[in-house]
Amino acid sequence: MKQNETLTSRKKSQLSFFFKGVKIIFQFSFFQGKKSKKSRLFALLSFAPIAIALFLRIHQVLSPERSFDGLYFFNNAVLLFIFQFLILVLTLFYGTSVCTEDLEAGTWTYLVTRPIPRPAIVGGKYLASLLLVLLIAGAGLIISFIILNLEKLDDLSLYSYLFKDLGVLSLALMAYTSFFTFLGAAVRRSIFFGLIFSFGWENVIQYFPGSTQRLAIIHYIKSIIPLPSSSRFSFLTFQLEPTKPVYAVFILLGITILFLFLAGVIFVFKEPRAED
Amino acid sequence: MKPLIVTHHLSRWYGNVLGLSDVSLEIGPGITGLLGPNGAGKSTLLKLITGQIRPSLGQVFIDGQPVKGRAELFFRLGYCPEQDAFFESLTGWQFLYWLLRLHHFSEKKAAERTEEMLNLVELGADGHRPIRSYSRGMRQRLKLAQALAHQPEILILDEPLNGLDPLGKRKMIRLIRDFGREGHLVIVSSHILPEIEALTKQIILIHQGKVFAQGEIHEIRDLIERHPHIVSIKTPNSRRLAALLIEKPYVVKAYFGEKETNLFVETRDRDKFFEFLLEKVVNGEIEVEEITSPDDNLQAVFDYLVGKP
Amino acid sequence: MIREHGYTHWDGQLRERRFPWWPITRLNLKLAFRKKHFRPVYALSFLPAFFFIVAIYISERIEDFRFMMRGGRLILFEVNPSFFKNYLAGDFLFFMLVLIMVFAGAGLVADDFRFNALPLYFSRPLRKKDYLLGKAAVIAFFVLTLTVFPAIIFIIFKLLFSGSFVFLRNYPWISLSIIGYSLFLTLFFCFYTLFLSCLSRNSRYVSVIIFAVYLFSDFLYVFLYNWFRQPLLALISIKLNLQQIASFAFGVKAAQPFSWIWSFLVICAFCGVAGYFIIRKIRAVEVIR
Repeated sequence: MKQNETLTSRKKSQLSFFFKGVKIIFQFSFFQGKKSKKSRLFALLSFAPIAIALFLRIHQVLSPERSFDGLYFFNNAVLLFIFQFLILVLTLFYGTSVCTEDLEAGTWTYLVTRPIPRPAIVGGKYLASLLLVLLIAGAGLIISFIILNLEKLDDLSLYSYLFKDLGVLSLALMAYTSFFTFLGAAVRRSIFFGLIFSFGWENVIQYFPGSTQRLAIIHYIKSIIPLPSSSRFSFLTFQLEPTKPVYAVFILLGITILFLFLAGVIFVFKEPRAED
Repeated sequence: MKPLIVTHHLSRWYGNVLGLSDVSLEIGPGITGLLGPNGAGKSTLLKLITGQIRPSLGQVFIDGQPVKGRAELFFRLGYCPEQDAFFESLTGWQFLYWLLRLHHFSEKKAAERTEEMLNLVELGADGHRPIRSYSRGMRQRLKLAQALAHQPEILILDEPLNGLDPLGKRKMIRLIRDFGREGHLVIVSSHILPEIEALTKQIILIHQGKVFAQGEIHEIRDLIERHPHIVSIKTPNSRRLAALLIEKPYVVKAYFGEKETNLFVETRDRDKFFEFLLEKVVNGEIEVEEITSPDDNLQAVFDYLVGKP
Repeated sequence: MIREHGYTHWDGQLRERRFPWWPITRLNLKLAFRKKHFRPVYALSFLPAFFFIVAIYISERIEDFRFMMRGGRLILFEVNPSFFKNYLAGDFLFFMLVLIMVFAGAGLVADDFRFNALPLYFSRPLRKKDYLLGKAAVIAFFVLTLTVFPAIIFIIFKLLFSGSFVFLRNYPWISLSIIGYSLFLTLFFCFYTLFLSCLSRNSRYVSVIIFAVYLFSDFLYVFLYNWFRQPLLALISIKLNLQQIASFAFGVKAAQPFSWIWSFLVICAFCGVAGYFIIRKIRAVEVIR
């Protein structure tokens, strides 16, 4: 009985030690991330939908005879840009950086010689990267939504779309960042393989019918909020066979947990290369 | 005294390259110098002790506990890496502050300790400048500060004196010695013998991934003394000098180089040999153009110890 | 005797080496091929070339392959200027070229910044021009081996399979078009990659940017075109501009209803700005004598 209690309390203290590590690493990484020039440049990229939305608004003012449906444009252009381009670029860079950036820069030593378990380093850095990409992409999404729907802002039903999109955006960012964190930990040329995955695999696989398309993360995102097809592979017929939204949410969460766990496990055994 | 760090048959390969081979050591409190030429395996050993890399064979124990997977051991351990790597966008103050926070210091305590440490390593005035603008010496001092800041019991310093000017070296040596005097365990690696001599008498000699000697520095010096020492003399009277020297009991061998004016002498007693040579030169019996000793470096010491010709 | 072993600036008569940039190119090519996974990717880039060669063969044996045809003609099997345009301005080739740039081009200047290697280059009898030429030649090697080289092979195979020179008699200018357009493509990728490689010391970041800029330009075009239906918006897209110029080079009907000159000017303007930026960036770290 007493032995069991001791074991439980030891487990509890180990967990609290782990989460304390996650928290400090998160604070440190977020502090660094928000200061970095790269984050500022990526934030600029996220302003592209805002710029387009503003441009459209100005165009609408100049030619009022043309009908303007802000929500339609938001769903068919802004969301497409964010989900099929922006978040892929953002999560690819930030996700693969989680396990490799410090290793390449030589600053890895300062992190692994602190009283913080290695998986907590991955967890903390992952959360910091996630928050950064969420702020960058979320800002673009919210502001462009507001600009495109200025005249309907008092319509509360409209906000359900915004919250749903923000929710899916968060899920998508979680899943992609986690996958790229794993990729960064597992392979050396993670950026290259990430590019192939994002702009090759994710695009091509969704054109295949049946279960094949379920091998892409974008399939589950589209199952929750259907997105129009981008015209890059127009010779193929796009035919979404959606997964139920509830399942899609759970699968995205599952992808997040699975790849984050795998990244943590790999990072425990990670070492700088001999030539470093 | 009970050893704090114990390594059991520690070996490490990098692919086909042997980094460390069958190293068993017991290191107790006080300062220990880890001496060896570049590429000897010093950094590998220190990285293994600090758990940054895993051994291919063997184990490392700190205070009886295996290092592997025990992050809490780092509360007691400070490490100063050899690599000149920093979070370059941070200021010196931020760097120290955040590394203290990673040691679970509260915000207030971390800030206070950061100030103290910056003043200790004489970076107080430059603390709010970005690290990328620091000189090499300042960066070395900052690295030492981060290793000392959380007041560890064990301090591991990988080539901490690299790139420092003589004054900077003296200050750094004083800091390390003060820390060692407080009864802590300090391991300092270097490839320069006088640097280690200035810090400690306890040394470990490492070469080609193997430990060649461990003990007090004078014992190792004696070991070197017992081995013949080569002196090269350029003289027009080489034959006469060779004839005079070969009778002496402390001269093991005398032979000519490619040119007849180059004479190589192997001696067991350098002092007596030079005393004799000086006498001959002062008396005008021998004219000497140049004297060199190819053995006056660390590599030669190791060559002696491994029995290389 | 005290010998001074410190670094000294080279001073004296410069003995002209014919190609002072060549050692830089050779080194960077070696480094690129030494990278893990690079060789399979590079080999994969020749996949379209392989298919196009098969197409040439089929075009000459069309009767044997009639079972593959349904109704109308299969355009790919007609070896004409359009065939070469389809190859040299194809989406897949561009995609692979950008990937190759990510692999072999991202670190060309970024890594030199990161490891402070520029002073080492310029402390030798090497001019900025030579340094940049050396780097550009690495990109040129990859672009040309994927453009001119296969295209010339296509012509050779066409002549071999057909057993006559009719093709060359019909299109005597085709070789010039291939070389001209490939050189233009090379020039563009040199400026594009070196410019982006100058942006940061972090080659991972540059890799993402190389890809993102290329795709972003295309995305932006699609969005704006869907809204405004204005063909001139194609000038935003790197890919469409290069394809528009290719249409002119091979005398094929252009996909966009505006003159190729506009696309040419856009690409030239981009190269001009990129060139200016590259020179400024390299000048900033040049050794002061």
